Amino acid sequence: MANLCVHNRDFGFTEALCRGFRTGFLTDADYHHLTQAETLEDVKSNLQETDYDQFLANESAVTPAVILECATRKMVDEFKFVRAQAAEPLATFLDYITYEYMIDNVMLLLKGTISGRDVNELIEQCHPLGMFRDSTMRSIPTFENSPKGYADLYQTVLVDTPVGPYFSQFLQESSESLSTAAEVRNVLEEVEMEIIKNSLIKLYLEDFYTFCASIGDDTAEIMGEILKARADQRAINITLNSFGTPLNEPTMRATDRKRLYPSIGFLYPAGTAELAAAADEQALGQAISPFPVYREIWAVHQNESIDDRSIDDAFYEREVQMLELAFEGQMHFAIYYAYVKLKEQEIRNLVWISECIVQQQKDEINKFVPCFSKAAPWRSN
Amino acid sequence: MGYMACTATYCNASYDEVLTHMSPYGWGYMGIAFGLGLSVVGAAWGIWLTGSSLVGAAIKAPRIRSKNLISVIFCEATAIYGVILAILLLSKIGDGGEAKDNDGVLPDDWEYNQFYFAGYSLFSSGLSVGLTNIASGISVGIAGSSCALADAQDASLFVKILIVEIFASALGIFGIIVGIIQSNDAEFPSS
Repeated sequence: MANLCVHNRDFGFTEALCRGFRTGFLTDADYHHLTQAETLEDVKSNLQETDYDQFLANESAVTPAVILECATRKMVDEFKFVRAQAAEPLATFLDYITYEYMIDNVMLLLKGTISGRDVNELIEQCHPLGMFRDSTMRSIPTFENSPKGYADLYQTVLVDTPVGPYFSQFLQESSESLSTAAEVRNVLEEVEMEIIKNSLIKLYLEDFYTFCASIGDDTAEIMGEILKARADQRAINITLNSFGTPLNEPTMRATDRKRLYPSIGFLYPAGTAELAAAADEQALGQAISPFPVYREIWAVHQNESIDDRSIDDAFYEREVQMLELAFEGQMHFAIYYAYVKLKEQEIRNLVWISECIVQQQKDEINKFVPCFSKAAPWRSN
Repeated sequence: MGYMACTATYCNASYDEVLTHMSPYGWGYMGIAFGLGLSVVGAAWGIWLTGSSLVGAAIKAPRIRSKNLISVIFCEATAIYGVILAILLLSKIGDGGEAKDNDGVLPDDWEYNQFYFAGYSLFSSGLSVGLTNIASGISVGIAGSSCALADAQDASLFVKILIVEIFASALGIFGIIVGIIQSNDAEFPSS
């Protein structure tokens, strides 16, 4: 109650701003027009009627990659405008949203160097929300791909960045196991990158959850639900993707794979303990069967050949449902997170539609998850 | 009760001596200060609650600008109640000059009971109006903020949420009505 009385003093303007951006989402009618388009020029002129307006005005050729870049740029401009108006603790909250993209960018640069790609090309591919200073970005690919290389990378470059603490925690944990399992580590040369990325995201999610809990009130409640759902999604996906890879070896399951499961989430601790022991899909299904929501999502995965909906689609739908619900309440911070994630989903939809048009796959074109759609399965009219 | 060991010139016998020795004019003016001051605090609180949302929401939906000023006007009304009450109460207080001809001592036939009654009456009346108007102002402010955001999203919601605000501003009206009744019989005696 006290939050209701004083929230608008610091955050009334930014909340109203974010809700203004929410009105800019594409509606069912817009998506209908877009799916009827024959060429990407039609898509461009259709989008001119919406909030996207002239976002492609300065582009000579319209391709799906260009649409992705321009739409992302528009979202980032809006985000940065809100960030510029934000007071504490909203400013830190918005920064936390960008840390995830910073982690993605760092991993992109490291991975790209291993495959021998050019630094400039990599920097252009980085997500604009997670950019460091140019000098920092350029120095990341110069480090070697080994535990010592990562330690050097951390000490010289990453320690000053916001993702430094996650890296240092990861290095601490991996150096503990290094002395006991040095020979096993050589086997993992291929999965090394994925493990680093999953560990960093896990640490980030836990940190974000703690921060939201410290804000309290509605923010802690709503963001807690959203982050827990994300943590569970990661746990299930890591387990599912590990079948058939070295990570699924009995020795690796308890040590390495279990270490990747976040310690927040509805599945923690009993569910993740069973997931850690799961060796195949049947065991996975049994491990998550006590949880009704995940049981349903798992059923979608098992019927994949019949319905042609994958487990990713089911997770996306659930995420969109939860993020839309964040807008139902006033005077909390979850709407900013929801806005960024839903806008990303919309950009993914736009790219999907554009790709289908370019490749003339009209029967696949309706396989996207719209945001704030009146026809959504969870809305019963 | 009321007698203590202290016998010096300026010590008080007990709390009832403290309270009864406070001038009813003091009680009266404090009542006016609370009535006006707290009402304005409530009105200001409500205005910044609703105004910040209104300003932000009008960026993407400029059409809501004029209609949603009604929320601000509702908040302003609580301040006006405070001013009305203050002026009403002020008119009941004389110039307090009864004792100046008599060397600072009140006349012998001074009606003390009426004097104290008037003072307490004005004080409680001011407090009633002030506290109810804080509640009313905050309430209208939060509802007005939601009204602006909802109107920006969907214009048909404006009138429905306005009804919530009307109920909220009724709280201030309760305060001023009771405040006027409380101070009705108050009359400072005059010589």
